[in-house]
Formats: sequence, structure tokens, C-alpha cells
Amino acid sequence: MTENSSSANEPRQPDSRVLTCLPFGEIFAIALKGLRIRIWRASLVISGIVLAVAFLTYILCGDGLLRGAAINGSAGLVERLTQDGLLGQADAADQRVQTFWIVGLATLISFVGIVNAMLMSVTERFREIGTMKCLGALNRFVLRLFLVESALEGAVGTGLGVLLGLAIGFGEGLTLYGGEVWALFSASRFLTMVAACFVGGVALTILGALYPAAQAAKMSPVAALRTEV
Amino acid sequence: MSADVIISAKGVKRLYVLGKEELWALGGVDLDVARGEYLSIMGPSGSGKSTLFNAIGGLDTPTEGTVTIDGHSTTDMSEGQIAYLRCMTIGFIFQTFNLIEIMSALENVTLPMVFAGVSQAEAAERGHKLLDQVGLTGRHDHLPTQLSGGQQQRVACARALANSPSIILADEPTGNLDLKTGEEIIALLGKLQHELGVTIISATHDHKMLAASDRVVYLEDGKVVDIKTRDQIKFSFGEVDGAVD
Repeated sequence: MTENSSSANEPRQPDSRVLTCLPFGEIFAIALKGLRIRIWRASLVISGIVLAVAFLTYILCGDGLLRGAAINGSAGLVERLTQDGLLGQADAADQRVQTFWIVGLATLISFVGIVNAMLMSVTERFREIGTMKCLGALNRFVLRLFLVESALEGAVGTGLGVLLGLAIGFGEGLTLYGGEVWALFSASRFLTMVAACFVGGVALTILGALYPAAQAAKMSPVAALRTEV
Repeated sequence: MSADVIISAKGVKRLYVLGKEELWALGGVDLDVARGEYLSIMGPSGSGKSTLFNAIGGLDTPTEGTVTIDGHSTTDMSEGQIAYLRCMTIGFIFQTFNLIEIMSALENVTLPMVFAGVSQAEAAERGHKLLDQVGLTGRHDHLPTQLSGGQQQRVACARALANSPSIILADEPTGNLDLKTGEEIIALLGKLQHELGVTIISATHDHKMLAASDRVVYLEDGKVVDIKTRDQIKFSFGEVDGAVD
């Protein structure tokens, strides 16, 4: 065990010559410090996530409001929406296909945006990973470090993104159609949508970071050091 | 050589496959390094010295053959054992310094201590001492970009010493430095060898490094073609450039 320095001073025995991974608390502290130092780069990555999630949330929000209006909107609202071409003009099947495509595209754009941001931000740190491995970092340490870092970035970015998306979605609805918009979402549908956006965003952020981090951790340190980005 | 062998390479071969081409970067190298020795690996670029260097340091696995460090074969090691080796037994110095850009000089030096689980207070204290030792007193807060090449390499030297390793591996440590700074780094390595009894292995094609070496291994086409001891080096180079010890 090398949880503390004492093992370095004890006589070295074959069995004790194994490095163990740092405890999670310490990795968390290192990740937090790293994010603080890299704040501008991290902000850039986070803003990418914010935009992607905001876009998806906005689309889902608009879709949810329309569905809500179709079910329990007042007659006046439904008429205005129909006039604006948002409800009831084409037959229902057509409308479902259209919605499916819009939501699908929004999801895809968010997916690519988030994964791309994370891939880049980790790949540009391959040399750093190689250096750390030369200095005794375990693969597990590298993975956990990037797990914590990306989870933090993901939580902040996705949280802000959901808020931004909701603000724009509801803001648009309110300016165009007035206060009735508030009543269109049932609490459970609203929470499901927010949770889906949040969990999806964070999960994508972590996956986008862990994939390249795992690649780098698996490489020999020399190979990671040699990688040109 | 003396009986106390710290690193022993036996029949080390390394194959690189580039597309359809197969290249034996190392064609069977046998080499014993004594504890406390200053060994230089010389050879033109492409001779396999970096490959040998990486194999000796446990940074890369040889295709064939074994490398034994301190009595343990690197090929049989678990990931945790290899990490221990890189963290505690060996200190690395690179041509391109490889400091972590966002960390201060002190944080770079103490990083291996963090991996070893040393407490923050103790790491900071030891880090300051090491920076003093390499002549960078008062520079602990500087980022790598705020330091000259020579200073960065000094930070790297201090980092290599972080966990009091018994071996320092230096890959072309003077390759990116001007003449004078390079000489200072060589002198620093020599000082570490004498004062701390560290074994130093350095891959180089810098002839200046020979003066400090106890032994020089000449590598060509992945094979050891010659091994010269200090006396033989002095004999052959002493008169040419008037090198003094």
C-alpha cells in the first residue's frame, strides 16, 4: 500500500512494490484544481455543452408546449396556433413525423456537439496523460480524473443548458401566446423532459471524455507522449 | 563490472510494424548497468537508443527479451508494479522537458509525490528543497512557460528526483538546449550522481555528455557495437577538444 509516504521509507519488499490508486477525494481535489487552472478552456468546453443542451431542451420544450396546447389548451389558443401553422393543419400522422425529425435532429446535433467538445479537450491532453503515466499514474487514476472532471463539466454545462433552453422556450411561448403557456405542461411531463435532457447531457459528456481517456490510458506512456494533435 | 547490477537487459528486441514493413529497432541487446553508474547510450538517430531507453525504463515493452530492474523483470509486472517502478524507482528526464503546462514548477515537482501518496505539506517541503538543489530557489510559483528551456529542464531534473529514485533515465536531456545550458544540465546530472549515488542512464548524441559518463554504450542499427569506459573515452577525446574533468 502506498496510501501515505511511510511505505516509501520502509525497506522495499517485492510485495509492497505496488502502487495503489489515490482515494476518490484526492482525485476530486486534483480535478477541481485542474478545472480552476484551465478555467478558460473549460468554459469553452462547457459553453459548447450549454449550447447543445439548450438547443435540445428548447426543441423539446416547444414540442411539449404544443402537445399540451393540443390536449388542454383553450379554444382561442388552439385557433391561434392553427393560424400560425403550428397545430392541426396537416393530418396527425404527418405532424408526428415532422416532430420526430426535428427532435431527432436536435438530439443528434447535441450528441455530436458534446462528444466533439469532449473528444477534443481530452485528446489535446494526451501528452499530459503520457507524462503522468511516466511519473507513476495508474490507468485507473487517469480514468477517474477524467471521469470527475467531465462529470463536473457536464453537470454545470447541462444544468445551464437546460435552464437556457427552458428560458428561451417558455420566453418565446409567453411573448407570442401569453400566460396560458404556463398551464400547458403537466408537472410530471415537464420533470421527465428536464431529467432526460440533464441525464442525457451529463452521460454524453462523461462518455465523450472517457473514451479518449481510456484510449490514452491503455497506450504505453511513450505512445501517448508521441501523439500529435 | 561490479556485482551490484541495478538494471539488466537480456536479448532485448523490439519490432515495429509500419504497414507492411517490419523494422527491428533493437536486434538483441544485452546490457548490465551497475548501481551508481553514469552510463551514456550513444548512437546516431534511428540507431534504437530511444527504444532501448524506453525498454530499460519500463515505458515500453520489448517484443523479445527481458529487462530486470532491481531484481524484478518488467515483463512480468502488473500495472501497479510498473507504476510503482516509474514512480518510486526511476526518475525520467525528457528532451522536450514534458512539464505539465498548467502546473507551477513546484506542482510539477511534487506530482510524483502525489501519486506516491505523500502528504501535501511534506510534498511541498521536499519540492522546495529539490528546487533549491537544482538552482531554482524562488521560482516555485513560475509556470513552465515563464521559465527558460534550461530552467524547465532543471524543474524536470527536480521532478525526476521527487521520490528519491535509485535510477535517473534521461533521454537526450540536452537536445533542446543551447551549448552552455546543456553543459549546466550535464554538470547537474553529474552532481546528482556523485552526491546522491543515483544511477544515471542517458541516451544522447551529445559528445559533451561523454566527459561525465563512466561508460558509453555505442548503438548502431539496434545493436551494441562498442562499450567504452571512462578511461578509454578520455584517451580518445581528451586531446581532441581538451576536455577536462
